[in-house]
Amino acid sequence: MEPVTQATSAAVGSVIKPPKSQSPWALARRKFFKNKIAMISLVFLIIVTLLSIFAEPLTIPVEETAKINLTQMSKEPSAEHFFGTDKSGRDVFARTLHGGQTSLLLAFSITIAVITIGSIVGATAGFFGGWVDNALMRFTDFMMNFPFLLFVIVLKSIFLESSTATLIFVISVLSWTGTARLVRSKVMAEKENEYILSAISIGCSPFKTITKHLLPNVMSTIIVQATLTLAVMIVAETGLSFLGFGVPMNIPSWGNMLQEARSPDVLTSKWWIWIPPAAVLTGTILSINFIGEGFKDAFNPKSNR
Amino acid sequence: MNTEVKETTTNIRDKRNNDVLLEVRNLKTYYPIKGGIFRKTVAVVKAVDDISFEIKKGETLGLVGESGCGKSTAGRTILRLLDATDGQIIFDGEDITNIRGVSLRKVRKDFQMVFQDPYASLNPMMMVGDLISEPIRNFTNRSSKDLKPEVMELLTKVGLPEDAYYKYPHEFSGGQRQRIGIARALALRPKLIIADEPVSALDVSVQSQVLNLLKELQDEFDLTFLFIAHDLSVVKHMSNRIGVMYLGGLVEVAEKSSLYAEPLHPYTQALISAIPEPDPRKKKERIILEGDVPSPIDPPKGCTFHPRCAHAMPECQQVKPTLKEVKPGHRVACHLYN
Repeated sequence: MEPVTQATSAAVGSVIKPPKSQSPWALARRKFFKNKIAMISLVFLIIVTLLSIFAEPLTIPVEETAKINLTQMSKEPSAEHFFGTDKSGRDVFARTLHGGQTSLLLAFSITIAVITIGSIVGATAGFFGGWVDNALMRFTDFMMNFPFLLFVIVLKSIFLESSTATLIFVISVLSWTGTARLVRSKVMAEKENEYILSAISIGCSPFKTITKHLLPNVMSTIIVQATLTLAVMIVAETGLSFLGFGVPMNIPSWGNMLQEARSPDVLTSKWWIWIPPAAVLTGTILSINFIGEGFKDAFNPKSNR
Repeated sequence: MNTEVKETTTNIRDKRNNDVLLEVRNLKTYYPIKGGIFRKTVAVVKAVDDISFEIKKGETLGLVGESGCGKSTAGRTILRLLDATDGQIIFDGEDITNIRGVSLRKVRKDFQMVFQDPYASLNPMMMVGDLISEPIRNFTNRSSKDLKPEVMELLTKVGLPEDAYYKYPHEFSGGQRQRIGIARALALRPKLIIADEPVSALDVSVQSQVLNLLKELQDEFDLTFLFIAHDLSVVKHMSNRIGVMYLGGLVEVAEKSSLYAEPLHPYTQALISAIPEPDPRKKKERIILEGDVPSPIDPPKGCTFHPRCAHAMPECQQVKPTLKEVKPGHRVACHLYN
């Protein structure tokens, strides 16, 4: 009996299988790297991120971007100002890069917070079920019922020294509910698998069962959810700043820059003031969504492209 | 309540036969069905309803019954993967029915389970080597690396090549995965292994390999098995004694030879008459049961088998029969043998 099995598996190993065995993660990674659109998007996102991070050495310090220069008002793009200057004479190129720093930092921080809170709440509720699930989910419903915009505006006016950090905090606290529900439903489906029962029967503690057995298997969903959240959060920052409830006015951000397009004069005849941030913003959101799509395909065992 | 339990436990300890490894007394596992706005319990599914049996050290008790009769639930309740509604589980002289938390985790190393579905019972994200060493790592401070020689030895014991160590579950066939599952159950050198239909997901040629492997390992590691299956020929091959379950209850328990030669309960008789006969010229009388298995939510009064039983008497509709020893070592729950 034994020699037969060994011979067959050896034969299978040498003929069909690739020489090195691959974890499900490695398989997904390979599939992702083969996805052209996702790769182009990833490169674009990395370039935007790097340019934003190195905004200061590349252009001017952030304090300079806020300085009003009346002699340089609304200048068209030139060699001196790549994207021209805005109505207060500030360099649009430098502000776009520095704005990217603010917008991306905000979006990434909120996403990390949202995914962390959402996963912990969702996994706990889904794994334990019963009254734990009931309590956590009713709390989630409660948080979900806050009208987002209204709440942000109210909280922003309470915290008078509104800074980027307050904004991150406020949006995170209000946005984790969707992720929690998603993770909970995934965990509930996944925990029906016998390997969870098997983990308990070999003496894993609930904490270990969740972190070592459940979470790795719902991680694909969490990662896809994270990319989608990231895109939504960039839009949220832009929307709030556009309305004047977001990042403080003295800090450049894509939303703050787009606010200038509220004046008809800028919108119609001074395109260079709002096109650059709008274009970078659109490109970033698109590429994040494409990357998310790519992740989704890579983790889906049914897609074989 | 608690003192009562303690008293009975000490009682059992005194009387206990030294070679009994597992004793199950009046075990009940009910699943509540919740309904309405307030999630009140509107009904219960009596998945396991008052079963008692014991397993001696080194023997294999087979548990048979059709789908939904509660045999898997019984196995999981005994391993404390499900909570018992009532009754006692005495493992190696210790009442484990109500222990919880860390102390429960500690006793888990003495009993392990081989699961039914080899495609669902291995974490797809973990390397086989880590899967097999994980039970040991849970109970000691040793690292994966440290345990590698032992894992390699286990892999060889269950008939897998050593390079399986670095592979992932998706690279194996069903039979090979079941071997991984067996290696994992063996890693802690448990006293009892509950095999919950370990071969029902495999095709027939692989079934016999896995069954023979289990038998070899039983001799080598001095294991005691509770072998759950719905396939009578598989159970016959594996077991010393066999228990037959119907609708959550145990209707007959006997030595293998006695049960197959002379089944007493009408249900067992019907089951055994349904085993296919390889010789086509041999005429065999099949007992065909009428009707379906009743719902375990609302089981029939009296003997749960009476609506389908050819020998039903008025008494069967009223009084629930209990397991009685009719012949030495042969117990049956049926009014025919009063």
